[in-house]
Amino acid sequence: MSKVEIVGPRDMLGETLSLVRKKGDLHIEPSAVGFVDDVHKRDIHSLLPNEKALFEKIFLQQLEEKLNSLFACLPTEAIRESFLTPRPIIDTVSRTLDKHLGMCRSLFDNRDTLRHDLAELSHYKIFLATVSTMLDKIGLIPDLDYIGISLKDEKSEDILKEGLDCLADASCELFTVPTEEGALVGLIAATKDVSDDIRTLLSQKQMPEFTFPESIQSLSFVQKVEYLQKEIREKETALNSVNAELEEFTHRWGPMYRAALDWVHEQLSIIQVSAFSFETAMCFFIYGWMPAEKVASLRAGLQKNFSGSVVLEEIDIRIEDLERVPVVLQNPEYFKPFENFTRLLPLPSYTSFDPTPFIGLFFPLFFGLILGDAGYGLILLLVSIMTSRFSRKKRLLHDAIRILKVCSLYAIIFGLLYGEVFGNLGHTVLGIKPLLIDRQKNIIPMLYFAMAVGLAHVTLGLAMGFVSALRRHTKKEALAKLLNIIFIFLTVALIITFFGLFPQLLKRPLLITILVLCPLLLFSGGILAPLELLKNIGNIISYARIMAIGLTSVLLANVANQLSGLTGDFILGLIVGGIIHLIGIIIGVFSSSIHSLRLHYVEFFDKFIELGGRKYRPFSPNEKKGQENDKTETEEEHYKQEQRAHSS
Amino acid sequence: MDKILIAFAAALAIGLPAIATAWAQSKIGAAGAGSLAEKPELSGTVIILVAIPETMVILGFVVAVIILLGG
Repeated sequence: MSKVEIVGPRDMLGETLSLVRKKGDLHIEPSAVGFVDDVHKRDIHSLLPNEKALFEKIFLQQLEEKLNSLFACLPTEAIRESFLTPRPIIDTVSRTLDKHLGMCRSLFDNRDTLRHDLAELSHYKIFLATVSTMLDKIGLIPDLDYIGISLKDEKSEDILKEGLDCLADASCELFTVPTEEGALVGLIAATKDVSDDIRTLLSQKQMPEFTFPESIQSLSFVQKVEYLQKEIREKETALNSVNAELEEFTHRWGPMYRAALDWVHEQLSIIQVSAFSFETAMCFFIYGWMPAEKVASLRAGLQKNFSGSVVLEEIDIRIEDLERVPVVLQNPEYFKPFENFTRLLPLPSYTSFDPTPFIGLFFPLFFGLILGDAGYGLILLLVSIMTSRFSRKKRLLHDAIRILKVCSLYAIIFGLLYGEVFGNLGHTVLGIKPLLIDRQKNIIPMLYFAMAVGLAHVTLGLAMGFVSALRRHTKKEALAKLLNIIFIFLTVALIITFFGLFPQLLKRPLLITILVLCPLLLFSGGILAPLELLKNIGNIISYARIMAIGLTSVLLANVANQLSGLTGDFILGLIVGGIIHLIGIIIGVFSSSIHSLRLHYVEFFDKFIELGGRKYRPFSPNEKKGQENDKTETEEEHYKQEQRAHSS
Repeated sequence: MDKILIAFAAALAIGLPAIATAWAQSKIGAAGAGSLAEKPELSGTVIILVAIPETMVILGFVVAVIILLGG
């Protein structure tokens, strides 16, 4: 990251910010602390907006609000790019906008009303469609009365038929047609003298007559049907017409208003960011941070656009600036999905390390060490390959599948090393033998191995912490980290000597070295240094979980195999074994992931990662929202830094 | 009798830390869930806090294994 300062004549501030926004690489610093020497502090002050700028801001905010309201009324379809430059026509746009907004609001309200009416009429639709086909079939006889009903099922139809037979003998007839939903639509054709009795019967049988809107109660049944059909047709035509009008409007005016809205956004963000600029009587100053490799490009852009009137200077980063340097995570393609794990923690500080590559390297390794089953790994690999095609649009899911793919490969490798394919099934059926170690039988060696992995991982963390402390020029902390490494190795060597693996003669020199180094440890790490050392040793023992969780995973797989064998039936055994193995896979994936992550977050990162870095938020068209969200944060930060500067 | 005592010792070595871990995780988990509802960005910290007491049961497991197999 480079610390930069852009300087130019005051009247060129807007154009400069516009160019900086287009380039999208500069993280603008709201405070001048660390950028301006004490000598020049009196001459440089925050840029205060004048009356004209304030009016412009209010005008643009109102315009933005209206444009947003307009787009809220329009259909969400792709709008072609406009080649009109909004600035010269913005006054015209502002005038036409009021008229168009009124028109679109009216169309939008009309569309809403029509949609609402059609939604209310929709439950008549099925009934009307069915009844009209029945009416066509039976033909209309003017002396008859028609009663429409909805029946739940054929049983209800039988009950109704019985009732009608008893009541009216042959003076009525029931027609039914099944609907797509499985219910029945019925139509009773009866002579007018019995129709009231039929209605009473329907009420007694709790089969309510199909009700029509109250406004058409005076019409006959056939008229009601015709009226509703006409009403639905008319409303659908009207809705189509309104939709077509809105689409036509979007097609015709959308590009211009979209360009105007983008321009308004740009102007507002420039006005907002100009509050973070500084000025003297003649010049403006913008301070900020940007990736070192992008500096040349922005400098060339400024030179080209302003012919040397606006210049960009790189300033040396001082030790006191290190806390304020923004941080961006940049990793090769393989490590990118693992950044999701890093984002669960606050950002690392600028002087610290990006933990992503470490997670990318060790997470799949620990996952494989814990799950370690070639059969499970193969299933997970197949699942990840099959689902990767459907997950491209969802970034988080796609990343998770990419991680699963790598982890499943490690699970296959360690499965072959442990000789595990669906637990002991590979051994009993296919005769697969462990290439390295059988972890079910060698519990103690696996325990030592897991702790050796922990020793290597924790020591690496401490070594990184040592380097990190040197980079921050905190020599005492660096010494404490180094001594911790030495102490851990000495302690391990001492324990091994007690077990008789190292010559017994080493005991005394090891103990003497530990005692000699103790004061140095207390000096570098303070009174809590022994506690820190104990914590580190505890962290190493914590890696025993690699063996412990792995052992439970393989035992569960063996239980699945035994239970499926006990069924004595191939199909049943396959089902039982399959279900328990499926549970084993799900538990295995979750527990392996959680414990691998925990080993990183708690045991490993604790040693070298300094959290609390500031997020790199370049001033760019894409970051408008981000800038807005950060407004309060940056203003608060700006205020705090100013306060600190005043107090110092 | 020795075997019974060894098995009992191993069971105690893993059982008591397991209960302690479960109790600690229940308390931290409940508080963590409450924190996450208000500040979802604390998920990393909550995972760490929930995971910390697990070390107890792992240490208990190591001791139990040593009692059973290494003794």
